[in-house]
Amino acid sequence: MTTTAAAPRRSASRPRLADRLTTGAAHGSPALLSLVALIVIFSIAVANQPGILSVPGLTLMLMSAVPLVFAAQAQMLIMSVGDIDLGIGFLVGLVTVIAATQLGANPVLGIGMLVGIVAVYALLGLLVQRRGVPSIIVTLGMSFVWLGLGLQLLPTPGGAAPEWLAQLGSWRPNWIPAPLVFIALATLVGWYLARRSRIGMRMRALGSSAATLDKSGRSLTGTRVAAYALAAGLAVIAGLLLAAQTRSGDINSASNFTLMTIAAVILGGGTFSGGRALPVGATLGAVTLGLITVLLSLVNLSSSLQSAAQGLIVLAVLAGRVITERFTR
Amino acid sequence: MSSTATEPAVTDAASRREPDTVVAHGVTKRYGSTRALNGVDLAVGPGEILGLVGHNGAGKSTLMRMLAGREQPDEGRISWRGGGGRWDARAAAAAGVRMVYQELALCADLTVAENAALSDPRPPRPGWRGTAERRIAEVLDTVFPGHGISVIRRAGELPMAERQMVEIARALCTDHLGLLILDEPTESLGVDATRQLYAHLKSLVSGGVSVLLISHRMQEVLEHSDRIAVMKDGAVVEIVDSAGATESALLTAMGGEVRADSGALARAAEVTGAVSAGAVSAGAVSQGSAETIAELRTGDGPAFRIAAGEIVGLAGLAGQGQEDVLARLWRGGRGVRAPKHRSYVPGDRQTSGILPLWSVAENLTISALAAVSRFGVVDGRAKRELARRWISALRVRGEAGTPITALSGGNQQKVLVARAFASDARLVLLDDPFRGVDVATKNELYALMKAEAAAGRAVVWYSTENGEMAHCERVYVFRSGRIVSELAGETNTEERIIADSFDDATGGAR
Repeated sequence: MTTTAAAPRRSASRPRLADRLTTGAAHGSPALLSLVALIVIFSIAVANQPGILSVPGLTLMLMSAVPLVFAAQAQMLIMSVGDIDLGIGFLVGLVTVIAATQLGANPVLGIGMLVGIVAVYALLGLLVQRRGVPSIIVTLGMSFVWLGLGLQLLPTPGGAAPEWLAQLGSWRPNWIPAPLVFIALATLVGWYLARRSRIGMRMRALGSSAATLDKSGRSLTGTRVAAYALAAGLAVIAGLLLAAQTRSGDINSASNFTLMTIAAVILGGGTFSGGRALPVGATLGAVTLGLITVLLSLVNLSSSLQSAAQGLIVLAVLAGRVITERFTR
Repeated sequence: MSSTATEPAVTDAASRREPDTVVAHGVTKRYGSTRALNGVDLAVGPGEILGLVGHNGAGKSTLMRMLAGREQPDEGRISWRGGGGRWDARAAAAAGVRMVYQELALCADLTVAENAALSDPRPPRPGWRGTAERRIAEVLDTVFPGHGISVIRRAGELPMAERQMVEIARALCTDHLGLLILDEPTESLGVDATRQLYAHLKSLVSGGVSVLLISHRMQEVLEHSDRIAVMKDGAVVEIVDSAGATESALLTAMGGEVRADSGALARAAEVTGAVSAGAVSAGAVSQGSAETIAELRTGDGPAFRIAAGEIVGLAGLAGQGQEDVLARLWRGGRGVRAPKHRSYVPGDRQTSGILPLWSVAENLTISALAAVSRFGVVDGRAKRELARRWISALRVRGEAGTPITALSGGNQQKVLVARAFASDARLVLLDDPFRGVDVATKNELYALMKAEAAAGRAVVWYSTENGEMAHCERVYVFRSGRIVSELAGETNTEERIIADSFDDATGGAR
């Protein structure tokens, strides 16, 4: 009765482009305040240092945000199923260590290790789903494992990233700031995985209402395992890009990523309870947090106040969101 | 349809040429000590709308889950189109069984189209998103013309009626529909949408689809189904041809009271009933108007009121606003008058009742700590003494120091009830606390409640078991979030409660 219409009849309730845009904007509105914060920070930075408004200036300013954006997309996938990854910081650090010690000298072993990380994450997803262990516990425990492995491989920061990775990190086109390309790519990948693909839809359904997903006859385990494996893949990319920038490995180089990625997802309109995935929001949140560091150095504020400033901005944006939501309701 | 209606032996499957779509043979299901289904025999024929009615706990939902293959019977079996084999969720999905759930099963964070795609059994194709949008939009347009639902909005943003439409439409997103099970599909639909739905069901069954319609709206069931199965206490007690059936006959079969005719007589009875009910409530007021200790208004119905020393029951079909009254009495707020000291006995003891790591004594006395402490320090001896008193009074099988989880369910429930009464609360709220509690325990608790009420406490008691309401002095029957009647004394019978629960249908002309 539904597929009998042979001719592609134009349904009255198929939404038109204008509807799509307004609905999309409404769904993405929680990320709006993050965008406002980003613009404000960027404006202050430009007012202090007009040189930013050039391709090299923007490259310098946005470079540090690139790995964070990829890691934020990974965290977004985990949070869309209702979990939280507390191990992503040391995981990214471990990937830089692997890149700096193994990928150049012994590529097969290095790639094997990276694949192994994805496999371990798939197992974590299985454990969380089958055994009902909270993801916070599992990933927190794993973060110490990543730290230990990283210290074992490379006790002090150092090593050297392989040449191809270093070249990727020093790619500087004249016409566009290279970090913008990577940031756009990360957002696109996150958007495809979480919003466009069928597995992404199932991941959000799992976070929204696991019982409904189950009644629809889909595998809860398969969905969670996929979410963890995809997130691990994105985290590996984040680690490789970080190694490409620093050209060395350091297990502690991304230890602040854990909480920053969670903050980025929340800033971008995500929720702790799962069900939502806003890739553009997560990117905006990550870039906002990354820019704060740059801004503080521009206005000659001590860099040790970074974390405090980041925290205050997160609080301000979240408070603003609560107020605007009450206002619009 | 008409052929089955004229046949006298409609329930005789052998008289039909085609095999029945789905048949339950002697299906029995137990949950712990309660028997949800007790040897149910039921057949849904091809091209038939079978209505299924019954009061709380009659086993409708359990039977429905069995027919949909979501649960397996303890005894008996389900057969599909005369065949054998295991009947589980996979087999049901392959056979084209679709279900519309009463508790709307949409993912609030997913769009309408995504929700439809999630449950669509057809294999995905490239561009699945556009396909899903087109499919659900087409079904919505077919079933509910002029629905005005945007399929790219999140399901959670839609009003209740539209979510219900989406829930129905997404069950129809399939190529081969064999059996459609609808659980209270019109509960939140408007008049137009309800009419559109039934019109579509008619066209579905004319194409050979079978429909199982569960509803407590008697007149809809009578009007739109071919046969009606009446369930009571886990069994199908009667299957009637809806052409010859009347509402009062159905109510009687369910265990309700015969109330002559629904039309004019009901209205006449209402006038006289209002007078007599007025007299009853006036009597209650004159008894205790000075001590009415709590009241609140629900919807546009009569106000809820309770005096000290009273046990007042909240009855009706589950989820018609009774829990809301309890919650408002508990939390207080606008339009609610309630005494400062009140206590609450939750029905779901595992999630919101016991403190599982604590002992019996600690669980029992937590609400009464003020009475057993001095200068903010709990007097251990007084606490144990209080606990011991209650443990012996209620004959809890366990010591004061026993971990609460070591007790049986019934004994845990005793501790929870004792907790409420051990405090100095003037108003005690009971949220269906005796589900799954054995009869002996229940009788002890009933006696306790009566003794405590006689001592001057007010007890508000919500129960889904109508038989329990006989222990109450007055009973408020709920329907669609408001009180539809107040029963007391002679009128407080199980039959009247059942009859008034379905009052919406009889009073449709109101």
